[in-house]
Amino acid sequence: MSGDLVFYGFALLTVLSGFFVVASRNVVHAAFSLLFTLFGVAGLYAQLGADFLAVTQTVVYIGGILVLVIFAVMMTRIPRGDAPRRGLDRAVPAAILALLVFALIYMVIVGTRWPERAAGAPEATVAEIGTGLMTTFVFPFEYASLVLLAAMVGAAILIRERAPADDAADADDAAGEGEVRS
Amino acid sequence: MQVMTDLFARIFGDGLSSLGLLVAGGLTMALIMALVMASCAIVFTWAERKVAGFIQSRYGPMRVGRWHGVLQPVADMVKILGKEDIVPRDADKPLFMLAPFVIFVGSLMAWAAIPFAPGFIAADLDLGLFYIFAVSSAATIGILMAGWASNNKWSLYGAARGAAQAVSYEIPLALACIPVVMITGSLNMNDIVIAQQGGIWRWHFLHDPFLFVAFLLYFVASIAEVNRGPFDLPETESELVAGYHTEYTGMRFAFFFLAEYANLFLVSCVATAVFLGGWQPLFGPVFLPGLVFVIKAVLLVLLQMWLRWTLPRLRVDQLMHVCWKVMVPLALVCVLGAGIWMLATGQAG
Amino acid sequence: MSQKLVDRLRAEFGERILETGSQHGDESVVVAPADLPDVAAHLKGREACELLLDVVGVDRSELPGHRDDPERFEVVYNLRSLSRNHRLLVKVRAPEGRDVPSLAGLYRSADWAEREVYDLYGVRFRGHPDLRRILCHHEFEGHALRKDYPIERGQFLSAPEKLIQDHEIERAAHRADDSRGAVLPSDLLTVNIGPSHPATHGALRAEVLLDGETIVEARTEIGYLHRCFEKEAEDHTWAQVMPYTDRLNYVSAMLNNCVYCAAVEKLLDAEIPPRARVVRVIVSELSRIIDHLVCVCANLVDLGALTNYWYFYNVREGLYYDVIEPLCGSRLTTNFTRIGGLGYDVFEGFETAIERNLVKLETAIGEVTGLVARNRIFLDRTVGVGAMTPEQALDWGFTGPCLRATGLAYDVRKHAPYDGYETYDFDVPVGTAGDTRDRIMVRIEEMRQSARIIRQALGRGLPAGPILADDPRFALPPKEKVYGSIEGVMNQFKLIMEGARVPAGEAYGFGEGGNGELGFYCVSDGGGRPYRVKVRPPCFPIFSAFGEMVKGLMIPDAVAILGSINIIAGELDR
Repeated sequence: MSGDLVFYGFALLTVLSGFFVVASRNVVHAAFSLLFTLFGVAGLYAQLGADFLAVTQTVVYIGGILVLVIFAVMMTRIPRGDAPRRGLDRAVPAAILALLVFALIYMVIVGTRWPERAAGAPEATVAEIGTGLMTTFVFPFEYASLVLLAAMVGAAILIRERAPADDAADADDAAGEGEVRS
Repeated sequence: MQVMTDLFARIFGDGLSSLGLLVAGGLTMALIMALVMASCAIVFTWAERKVAGFIQSRYGPMRVGRWHGVLQPVADMVKILGKEDIVPRDADKPLFMLAPFVIFVGSLMAWAAIPFAPGFIAADLDLGLFYIFAVSSAATIGILMAGWASNNKWSLYGAARGAAQAVSYEIPLALACIPVVMITGSLNMNDIVIAQQGGIWRWHFLHDPFLFVAFLLYFVASIAEVNRGPFDLPETESELVAGYHTEYTGMRFAFFFLAEYANLFLVSCVATAVFLGGWQPLFGPVFLPGLVFVIKAVLLVLLQMWLRWTLPRLRVDQLMHVCWKVMVPLALVCVLGAGIWMLATGQAG
Repeated sequence: MSQKLVDRLRAEFGERILETGSQHGDESVVVAPADLPDVAAHLKGREACELLLDVVGVDRSELPGHRDDPERFEVVYNLRSLSRNHRLLVKVRAPEGRDVPSLAGLYRSADWAEREVYDLYGVRFRGHPDLRRILCHHEFEGHALRKDYPIERGQFLSAPEKLIQDHEIERAAHRADDSRGAVLPSDLLTVNIGPSHPATHGALRAEVLLDGETIVEARTEIGYLHRCFEKEAEDHTWAQVMPYTDRLNYVSAMLNNCVYCAAVEKLLDAEIPPRARVVRVIVSELSRIIDHLVCVCANLVDLGALTNYWYFYNVREGLYYDVIEPLCGSRLTTNFTRIGGLGYDVFEGFETAIERNLVKLETAIGEVTGLVARNRIFLDRTVGVGAMTPEQALDWGFTGPCLRATGLAYDVRKHAPYDGYETYDFDVPVGTAGDTRDRIMVRIEEMRQSARIIRQALGRGLPAGPILADDPRFALPPKEKVYGSIEGVMNQFKLIMEGARVPAGEAYGFGEGGNGELGFYCVSDGGGRPYRVKVRPPCFPIFSAFGEMVKGLMIPDAVAILGSINIIAGELDR
């Protein structure tokens, strides 16, 4: 019962701040309210016993991606304050699209046979995940890291092109700096 | 938290459901942690001023509280409470007001996983170490928030520096801890401390040469992570006026200040638990574990203060250079080296 | 030596040299404005006059003998050759409204100096790249140092000046994009460093255009502390100007006192008693030590090495409390010297107090160099930062430690000794790279040399005798005479009410200040008040180079450089 309470707390936080992200006319406010959305989702993961996922969510999404999003939003030339109101010409197609997506998700949720799990103290998952990544899923895991490495090298090359004379700037360094500058 | 939950269970008997116990225990522990955090910040502001005075051939605070100005932080607190709360006209008001709390909460949450003594841990998480790094990364958002909302170019520069620095130094910080995780086979802070039982030679920083280097890396990166000298670039008073908190006054400023000192102690606590044996004494059986833990952490804090008052400050590009070209590769070497060492000495399972 | 130079100039230019003059050892030539560029180019190219120290404007409309002279303004170019050790004043005269050709293309130091003349006298310089006001506000009306500008007339002006215009930002952004073949357009940002900023140590302003943290363009604005020293000086007696000189470089006030006195004594052809000479040397060197202590410790604070501040400041405070304050009654506003000698004699225990503090100084120098000299972070922050070649430094008009850091051993105390500096044994420390580290290290070594000079002076024992020349023309009579004789009373009355009557003429008195050559160009009309006093503050030309020095560097570098060139707003803005 009280577990439900915690769940509703996190769910409310997620939904409300998610709504704010979409509805806010100030793009910086929207970016910052993502913090609460992501945090709420992490809370929901923790509720589900996926503690590793919850913490990873925090590290990757809040500590990494959100920082980059905010950087990008802050450093681009956007008008300070609220964006002007727009007419319904965009709202109507957007609403239709959103409804379609919702319908799809709803169908998936209803149509899936969810595995039942006995309620109780959540088990530690990290060891399991670690073993899994190093045995069963070692190929996808390594493949993913290879893809990421390629992406990093690509990003570094892009930045290099922008500053050919600046050979002191390390690739990653320049990536961080580039965010500040652009 | 176990301690508290047990305590409540004993007091109320069956009157509380298990979750009620959990919530009550959690709240109490959170309160204790907040108090610990606030009071350690208060103590450290005084300590910092005395340490600085000692290094700089002067006295530091001497008046309030008769003996060496011990009550100076209290007086400062009273003063800061009485300060006008100024929000600049063109600031982004909601974000401006929220930012100090985001930073403070991020710091407070990390405290939950610090094992001060056997059983005395707010949240004995299996992912303790990982969790600490995760939630303390939220402070970066707070810094960005403060810098943006102030609508001041110096603040923005401070925020950009702070975020870039925090994001970068998190990597060597976490990498330096990985060898320890490899050795103990756990991310649980309690397990990590227990693994170091049996005197100073069992402490992780003396486990093998790679771990010693890892400890040094962790120490340096942790100074950068909490934005203190010689890595205090986000708030360099001679360059950026005061960095991201230039526009803050009164209590809001105090929150930044408290969070800085709380983080200072936090990273020292993590270093203590991970590398310096936590509550384990130098030798012999466990004795006054909480005190031992705090003494070790405070010594690390004092070391950080010493460095701050000794070294000049790096330039922003040099800071990044040190992180990415020196510390990250070195940390990776440590991870690899520690692994090989474990294989060679037959510790690998 | 300089006389020969004038002869050679006559041989070279013949009739184009309109007049030559020699007053109090200062050689001067007068040329027509049209001939100025030729003469200056010849002097720079053939006669090795590498250094344009200053440009002085004089409004001659009330100067006896020139009242009806149509050529109302005189512009004096103060040239110096370091390699051949000669100096020359080149004068041009211009009527109201007539242009004078600018030397800014020949000497970069002429840029700001000519702007100052334009600002204060309204003399326009043809071909000057950027002829704007410099000391006065950009909306100021009239020219403050003209004799017909009433000293009471204040103007209330507050609108800030935008130093970098929007279209320039746009253009710089395009340049940046082109140079790196950018994918995304650059967005540059202007930031004001100052007038109220922790790193400016006074009211200076630099508007910088930033690409990330890199400075693309920097423009400086000064004048926030302009308080009309030179106009005030014309309204006071020669002796009354003394306290104002304290406020020029308030860090080493006694040096200003000494050099100002030297300039007036030069006009008076006065000889000062030997005891006063030695004490002047001692207090000058003490002031130099204090100047360097403050500069280096503040510079290190800018670099984040805060602790050094106390190590040096404690010594400075010791010198103030133990020596300077007992000597003259105050710490910063010393007002110590008098025309013809000193205001006060040394106190008992003077020698031991100094010696005690010199020992402390040496300890402090040891501690600070121990902390920074081989510190990797310090070296990374300072080596190669703001480096100047000797040629550049001379071009900008650098003197003092900033010039010596580039490797040129030029020191007024060696090249044109005064107050008996030729009898002391000391070295002139030089750097090699002219960067921030060298500037700091040269200053630190100079403190050691100053201590050496002071010890020599004290070791010989202070000469006995009076501290003030016994000359009724300028020196106040002793109190016994004032109270005991009618001549004394009259003498005192005349000197106080009318001021010392300084013979008409002009003289440039100069000495080695804390931050370079400090000079006072004084013109007298024979009355009790200066007709014109022009200060040559060492940091004025140095700061003019700041904008160029920081281009392409980062904000932290700019802060480090600004600290190392030791800008004292009091003498910069006067």
